[in-house]
Amino acid sequence: MNLKKYLLPFVLLLFLVLLLFQSCYSVRLASTSGTPNPAAPMVRDDYYRAVEVTELDTVITIGVENKDFTYLIKVTDLCPTGKLHTVEYKNTFGALLLSAVTFGRKRKVKIKYVCMKE
Amino acid sequence: MAKTTKLTLSEWDTLHNNGPFPLKILYKTKLESPALMSSDLDRYNDAAQEIQSLITEAKNKNEGFRAYGSAWSMSKIAHQKDRMHFNAHMNTYFSFRNQDLHALSSYKAENLFLFQCGNVVKEISEKLAGHGKSLKASGASNGQTIAGCISTGVHGSGINVGSVQDYVVGLNLIIGPNPGDIVYLERDSKPALNNVFVQKLRSRVIRNDGLFNAALVGLGSFGFIHGVVIEAQNLFLLKRYVKELKKDKAIELAQKQNFKDFDGIPEEVKSNGEANLPYHFKVFVNQYKDNGKYVVEFMYKKPYKLNYPDPFPIIKKSLYRDLINLVVGIGAAVPASIPVFINLLKNSILPKVDEVSIGTLAETFWDAPYQGPAFAISFGVSHTNGEKALKILSKVSIDEGPVPGIFAMRFIKKSDATLSFARFPITCMIEIDGVLWNEKKKLGTLNGLSKKMIEALQNAAIPFTMHWGKNADWKFSGLVNHMYGADAKTWRKYRCSLLSDDMQKLFSNAFLKEVKLDKKEPSDPQLIQSLL
Repeated sequence: MNLKKYLLPFVLLLFLVLLLFQSCYSVRLASTSGTPNPAAPMVRDDYYRAVEVTELDTVITIGVENKDFTYLIKVTDLCPTGKLHTVEYKNTFGALLLSAVTFGRKRKVKIKYVCMKE
Repeated sequence: MAKTTKLTLSEWDTLHNNGPFPLKILYKTKLESPALMSSDLDRYNDAAQEIQSLITEAKNKNEGFRAYGSAWSMSKIAHQKDRMHFNAHMNTYFSFRNQDLHALSSYKAENLFLFQCGNVVKEISEKLAGHGKSLKASGASNGQTIAGCISTGVHGSGINVGSVQDYVVGLNLIIGPNPGDIVYLERDSKPALNNVFVQKLRSRVIRNDGLFNAALVGLGSFGFIHGVVIEAQNLFLLKRYVKELKKDKAIELAQKQNFKDFDGIPEEVKSNGEANLPYHFKVFVNQYKDNGKYVVEFMYKKPYKLNYPDPFPIIKKSLYRDLINLVVGIGAAVPASIPVFINLLKNSILPKVDEVSIGTLAETFWDAPYQGPAFAISFGVSHTNGEKALKILSKVSIDEGPVPGIFAMRFIKKSDATLSFARFPITCMIEIDGVLWNEKKKLGTLNGLSKKMIEALQNAAIPFTMHWGKNADWKFSGLVNHMYGADAKTWRKYRCSLLSDDMQKLFSNAFLKEVKLDKKEPSDPQLIQSLL
């Protein structure tokens, strides 16, 4: 009986927490110079429709002795120059919490980037 | 060797989602790495050989082949159902020295540049800036390839400058699979490069005004445009003013182009009382709100200097796509709501009144990020018919809609290109731009709207043209003959004389068939003779 009484508030709370974890904002930085690497065929329907975009969604683990890390942009088919034109990073409450509870050892990285045309 | 990736697809679409259209094969060619082939000329000629091998492949399968760049055109001019070639990675360029110029050339070597087809306007501007040079004009943004610009007649509102094709002085075309099928065209009345340089491009030179003018706006059907020689000019700045003028005054300027007498911008009035002539003039027209005024944009050319104010904002905001979709969704179901929404969003759609900025051509006509499915219908009329045509087209857009878009008027100098839509002494381009809507609801179709507009201008006996890269009822009976008369036949005669029968077919597409420009004319060797 008691279990039933608390079930609904618990589910609601869980839903809210999940929602909170997903709550996010993104920031986009773009160069005013340079031409972005074009996409063909164009398959996306978002801001990046005309360009080749690389999406990164991972968790980086660093040691206790490491202060920070640098993610290196390499030359690939999507990034023929290895030079950046646009970077968009997304931050979520869940990612902040993950970093906090692991004392910065695990950092969620959710990035989209577009490179310069060759 | 240049490397081509071959993708088997079922469909292809434009940037602005005006398709999808069926497609079998998409090719993408990248130039050889400079690490393996250090000479730009070798890489350029190597790419030409690669394109010829792709043409051979298409020819052997009895299929069509068409190059495209940024897919910005909203009409299906860039589409070919069999094989399409994405050429934006073919983007090397050359500058020239005096010894490369023809003995009779009136051009300065420092102003001439050959850009390979896939260079987009933005990268061309950056490459030219490295030489202290600038394009003379561009479209309202910078993402089109140079080959795409001239094939469709991309224009700005350079009253005394013209369209992109008007500063092109040479064309390097691949017109078939054989060694003799690479030609370099220029005007016999205004030669630019000498035969020695043209031989370095492994090309056959044809200096012939008529042929050059026909190929200039070639609709992607005059062979594969491999290189474009342009005349650039010294870097300059554009000072931009946004004003709100009484409708009568804005229309008077549009109709009479009497800018010398315009005193609305005191900074541009000289001590003798005469005003400077603007480089650019544009009138924005919200056909759904008549407050007796129009927002108008003027730009004046200024000498280039360093340390001018930064023309870019720090933060560039855009409207919520979901909001636009919602508004257009409601509008398609309840058309009467569209004028209300457009008036509510007008501050985001129109430039800010009394805004002043300064920047280079490239900074002024800058990036235009993708903002969702879009349409545009664009008519060219003589500027003296501008007011009358605007009234007629606005009325159709209200009666047949109201449609989710607003009008603008821009002005272009007459072009020498045979099929340029800038064919009036000063062509007033009246365009409606907006968001594509769901045609299954109550709003009618885009094609239907365009058809009514064509009929309305015909009924009013106003001569007009239409922008090749924009939406229209291109199947409208006799449309191209109505617009171009004998020039349409002239264009076909030059095309049929330059291209062999199988290449006419290979470089054709559904668009060309719809506008009846694929019609065969007798080949005439005289038309493709070099006259110098």
